[in-house]
Amino acid sequence: MAYKVVEGLYYSKNDEWVKVEGDIAVVGITDYAQDKLGDVVYVGEVTLGKKVKKEDTVTTVESVKAASDIYAPISGEIVEVNKAVISDPSLLNKDPYGEGWLFKIKMENPEELKELMDAKAYEEYRRE
Amino acid sequence: MRYIPNTKEQLEEMLKEIGVSSFEELISDIPKDLRFKGDLKIKGPLSEDELIAYIRGIERENVDFASLKPLVGAGSYKHFVPSVIKTILAREEFYTAYTPYQPELAQGTLQTMFEVQTHLSRLTGFDAVVPSIYDGASATAEAVLMAMRLTGKNRIVVSKLLHPQYMETIKTYVAPHKTEIVEIPYKDNLTDVNVVKDLLNKETAVIVVQNPNFFGGIEDVEAFSKLAHEFGALSLQVVVESLSLALLKSPKDLGVDIVSGEAQSFGIDLNFGGPYNGYLATKMDFIRQLPGRIAGETVDRNGKRAFVMTLRSREQDIKREKATSNLCTSHNLNLYAIDAYLSLFGKEGLYNLATYNIKASHYLRSRLLQTGHFKGIDYPFFNEFVVETDLEELEIKERLKKISVIPPLKLSIFFTGLVNSYLFAVTEIFSKDDLDRIVETLGR
Amino acid sequence: MKLIYEKSVKGRVGYSIKKDEFDGAVEDLIPEYALSKAKKELPEVSEVDVVRHFTKLSKLNYGVDDGFYPLGSCTMKYNPKVNEYLASLDNFTQAHPFSPLEFVQGNLRLMYELEEALKEITGMDRFTLMPSAGAHGELVGVLIMRKYFEDQGKSRSKMLVPDSAHGTNPASSAMAGFKVVEVKSNEVGNIDLDDLKAKMDEDTAGLMLTNPNTVGLFERQIQEIAEVVHSQGGLLYYDGANLNALLGIVRPGDAGFDIVHLNLHKTFSTPHGSGGPGSGAVGVKKNLAEFLPSPLVCNCGKYFGLEEPRKSIGRVKAFFGNFTVLVKAYAWILSMGNDGLKMVSETSVINANYVLAKLKKYYRPAYDRFCMHECVLTGRDYKEYGVKTLDIAKRLIDYGFHPPTIYFPHFEPYAQETIMVEPTESEGKETIDEFIDAMIKISNEAKTNPELLKEAPHITYVSRPDEVKANREPILVYKEK
Repeated sequence: MAYKVVEGLYYSKNDEWVKVEGDIAVVGITDYAQDKLGDVVYVGEVTLGKKVKKEDTVTTVESVKAASDIYAPISGEIVEVNKAVISDPSLLNKDPYGEGWLFKIKMENPEELKELMDAKAYEEYRRE
Repeated sequence: MRYIPNTKEQLEEMLKEIGVSSFEELISDIPKDLRFKGDLKIKGPLSEDELIAYIRGIERENVDFASLKPLVGAGSYKHFVPSVIKTILAREEFYTAYTPYQPELAQGTLQTMFEVQTHLSRLTGFDAVVPSIYDGASATAEAVLMAMRLTGKNRIVVSKLLHPQYMETIKTYVAPHKTEIVEIPYKDNLTDVNVVKDLLNKETAVIVVQNPNFFGGIEDVEAFSKLAHEFGALSLQVVVESLSLALLKSPKDLGVDIVSGEAQSFGIDLNFGGPYNGYLATKMDFIRQLPGRIAGETVDRNGKRAFVMTLRSREQDIKREKATSNLCTSHNLNLYAIDAYLSLFGKEGLYNLATYNIKASHYLRSRLLQTGHFKGIDYPFFNEFVVETDLEELEIKERLKKISVIPPLKLSIFFTGLVNSYLFAVTEIFSKDDLDRIVETLGR
Repeated sequence: MKLIYEKSVKGRVGYSIKKDEFDGAVEDLIPEYALSKAKKELPEVSEVDVVRHFTKLSKLNYGVDDGFYPLGSCTMKYNPKVNEYLASLDNFTQAHPFSPLEFVQGNLRLMYELEEALKEITGMDRFTLMPSAGAHGELVGVLIMRKYFEDQGKSRSKMLVPDSAHGTNPASSAMAGFKVVEVKSNEVGNIDLDDLKAKMDEDTAGLMLTNPNTVGLFERQIQEIAEVVHSQGGLLYYDGANLNALLGIVRPGDAGFDIVHLNLHKTFSTPHGSGGPGSGAVGVKKNLAEFLPSPLVCNCGKYFGLEEPRKSIGRVKAFFGNFTVLVKAYAWILSMGNDGLKMVSETSVINANYVLAKLKKYYRPAYDRFCMHECVLTGRDYKEYGVKTLDIAKRLIDYGFHPPTIYFPHFEPYAQETIMVEPTESEGKETIDEFIDAMIKISNEAKTNPELLKEAPHITYVSRPDEVKANREPILVYKEK
């Protein structure tokens, strides 16, 4: 089965995607990740204003029988949290690249983006 | 062997089908020098009648407990258990089943969990209930860890009148987590609310108060909750004698954040201290931090009401080292007893039963005081009370033995300063005549 | 089915209390700050209502006495009836834990004799019977490890746990304050020895190991494993969940293990009770005995007493342990004796390998080698028909069987879509053959009529409860409309 991968985004090996908007990185999880988890029933709290380093655990996303930590794909400060997805976790399954975004990070070092994969590389990485 | 159906011939046949010539070939993975050689030096095999005779022989080395009435409680209360309960517990569908992993084959278990959650919710006021943890002591330790996770702090303030074995259990559980434990002293058989303020600070995770306390005393829990909240700490109420909840205000209405309790009083035999049944109750906001199994209502694929274990992602089999606890097996069988017990007694019955308990205990205490051999300060209590006596321990034991009563708890085993004080527990197993006989026996 | 609350009728009673002949009123005995203004809203039903309610509920359940219950890793063996009877004897069930010790000499003797038997069976030197369950025993075990190193003045911060371990192992380690380090499994289903060597160091307390492990395989290199752990001063912990395979065959104490916990509710036949009570006795080698939880039972010559280990980790619960469970376990050991125990392990291993041999064509095993007391098959070849392992399990219910354990263990890349079958010694060949037939039929149905599986079970009171809904909108208590 082919998972949806969106062109123009950056991807981490932990299955987060990053969309760059100026110095802001919008972060979510990929279609592959949401499918592996199954129906998401809970998205943990994300601390607004928290400074995170790349690979730090930011929150957790849980389905009925699995739990998955969400890591910061890039260093910076968490400046916005998607409250809609916390109150309705099904958005993560329905629209992982759109309404299901998780949080925004004000990037500390945009150079780190280079360490992430592009759509093509990620597609290759998660080919079944 | 009567528990093993396969005959030697069948095993041979199966080995052939597997394609090996012997059992030894099957276990060739095991290094030879690790193999146990010789016979295990254990008794048996006993035939069923030999077994019964042997175990009954051991049982008879106990005193004849069936004919004794305990005046001791202290976390283990002899209440009458209706015959219905034994009938229900003997159903194989309940006692030979596993944890309800397959809801289609376990609606009986899951609905019972849900019903007990509801009963405990009605008694405590809280909607998030874990119905079965090993016992009240371990449930309390789990509740303390939960409070530490919720607050991110590791200083706990605990009433000196928490059951001493519960306190020891907390200490064991928090030992790896660099926890500062502060004890609140007591005054006049109640936790001293006046000194609490000085013991609290902003680093405090939780204040732990048992109600009724270890001396049976009825605490002003709300005062402790208020103080806790002033310092950003949580209020944990421990309920060891859960029957008291029939008369006392719901913990939720006393500003309590978490309740940890022991439900042994609700239809569970004394069993020499176990198995009992611990439980936790809290507000829905804290539900993600609860340890243990919880049942929830849902619908099946045809829209019919069904029950499942829910919020499972808190648990060890999913979250592993990040789980809220390592709890796996609980004490679910007790839930059938608790559910049946609270249903049988119900709204009026539990109230009347608790009323009997409190009145009977007050009756015994006032009668004992009249004898001149006992003295004690006045304080509000439920079905246990502390009195001091001039009688020797041995004397009390011998005299009570003659009227088939197990002596009250000598408090000096836990409170070294209380040399001649005893903790009496009085439940509905004692009639007024029984109590009069006790007074007569001890009052001479 | 209705809840007991939905059967409530105002004024109905199901209880009796002896006459209250005492003066006074609760209002005078309870201070205003504590007295509830209203009675608590429990149901009002009669005794008949209650008995029928639970009889009905029981019929929605499935127990070992109903039929084959091959839950892998759970050892769902037969629970002998005589043991239930013996545990229900009055002088056991009516014993108060704070009775004078001379009142409870029988209880203490039973605990003492059970401990002696467990020592002999495992090759350990001392046991505590206090822990209430396997996981509770694990907690005791890792707390002992923690205290042992602290006592030597050099605390250790890490604990090794195989990727195949039960979730309780890492969870218990975390409760004892250890950082959990996962050790990989290799392609034959055993611990990757190189990975273990790389991770075991002087800051690591030890390794928690289940043997046979959770894929039902014996850790062939157990001696090397023990050497690696011990050479760094570490301790080897035995998770006894799978001891059923080894009774009288291998004693963990002879295989280098320093601490073991036993699940008396698995190997030793005490019932699982819909999820407990169990009992998680913990045995240790001599050098660790002084750290055991307090109190222990001792034989003081003329009578049995209690003793407090010198450097005890403390209590993990009130009182002594799940005493009535201990009675059942001891009764089972006495019924079996040496020959019986060996027969248990031999039969359970043959039964499991028979299932494996007969079904491996249909459900590709995770590892193609002989197993011990349980085998791990997989449902991965049916994915292409749109059938999940879950569907296979649910369909088994229609054939009258309790499903095996599924999706455990689940570690990449070796174990996925697992179906773990543990027949135990309690099943005869005919029952196992019926199960095998059902599994083969289901494998055909998966190819020809997958819908039948996806909608299974068809014969139960409820089918496929919506767990997502239960999690997203939790309803945990009943509220009157």
